[in-house]
Amino acid sequence: MIGLTSPYLWYTTRATGLVTLALLTGMVCLGVLVANRAGGERVGRFELAQVHRAVSAITVTFLAIHVVTTVADSFVATGPLSIVVPLTSPYRRVAVGLGALALDLLGAVWLSSLLQARLSYSAWRAIHWLGWLCYPAALIHAVSAGTDARHGVGLAVVVASLASVAGAALWRVTARPDRAAGRTALSPPRRRGLRRPEDAPRVESGSRTRG
Amino acid sequence: MAVRSRTDTFVLVVDPIQCDGYGHCAELAPELVHLDEWGYPILVTEPTPLSARAVRESARWAVRDCPRRALRIERHAGTPVSTRPRRRTE
Repeated sequence: MIGLTSPYLWYTTRATGLVTLALLTGMVCLGVLVANRAGGERVGRFELAQVHRAVSAITVTFLAIHVVTTVADSFVATGPLSIVVPLTSPYRRVAVGLGALALDLLGAVWLSSLLQARLSYSAWRAIHWLGWLCYPAALIHAVSAGTDARHGVGLAVVVASLASVAGAALWRVTARPDRAAGRTALSPPRRRGLRRPEDAPRVESGSRTRG
Repeated sequence: MAVRSRTDTFVLVVDPIQCDGYGHCAELAPELVHLDEWGYPILVTEPTPLSARAVRESARWAVRDCPRRALRIERHAGTPVSTRPRRRTE
């Protein structure tokens, strides 16, 4: 029986934290692959979307274990409130606060995807974009609150995660598919009633084919 | 539609404004979707009977997994009763 005072909960917190970071990295990279329309020949585009969804579900599961074991553990004092409200933890206030922030943001993204059918596309997309804020918060949380992130395997995971997501973000901005050109990755969803030159129809009226 | 008759049909419909040419639908429902040269879908306009189970499943997958939520399934009632051959009454 694992008692609340034994170190095993603390070990679980640390281990699942590191695994969650790796999964989060995979989730973001897969999301970028879908958004940039990778695949279509050797691997289906819809398959990448399905893997993105599956990895996200696993990430949420590991994050849940990470959070629950942190609350249950008495080795470090973090109250149940500090899990969701940033900067309320007596233990490593800022570091745990960043984790809380990342948890809140990921929760918003997760819920919005669960309720996607009830949301407008632009609302869903705006919320989904919060993932880009969630990731840095989670990474800094891993380095600052994580006791394993500064050496050995932990350091390797952090460095590899940072490199992959930075690369993915760069690719997302630079290699946007042609038909979404004119709108950068950082542009907010298009405003209604706002017309710009690139919004003009691609095909001249009357003729179906061009050039 | 509450009552499903054997002659009821459906068509897959795309919102051309919402569609951004991701092409997931053509992979998921190749029976109903072909892509034009810019990657936008050309849908089969002929109604498919609801009894065609496999095609209906494909269409449902395409609707569910469209990254832009641009697809929907439109159901149509089958042959109206009035145009069916009347049963002779003595």
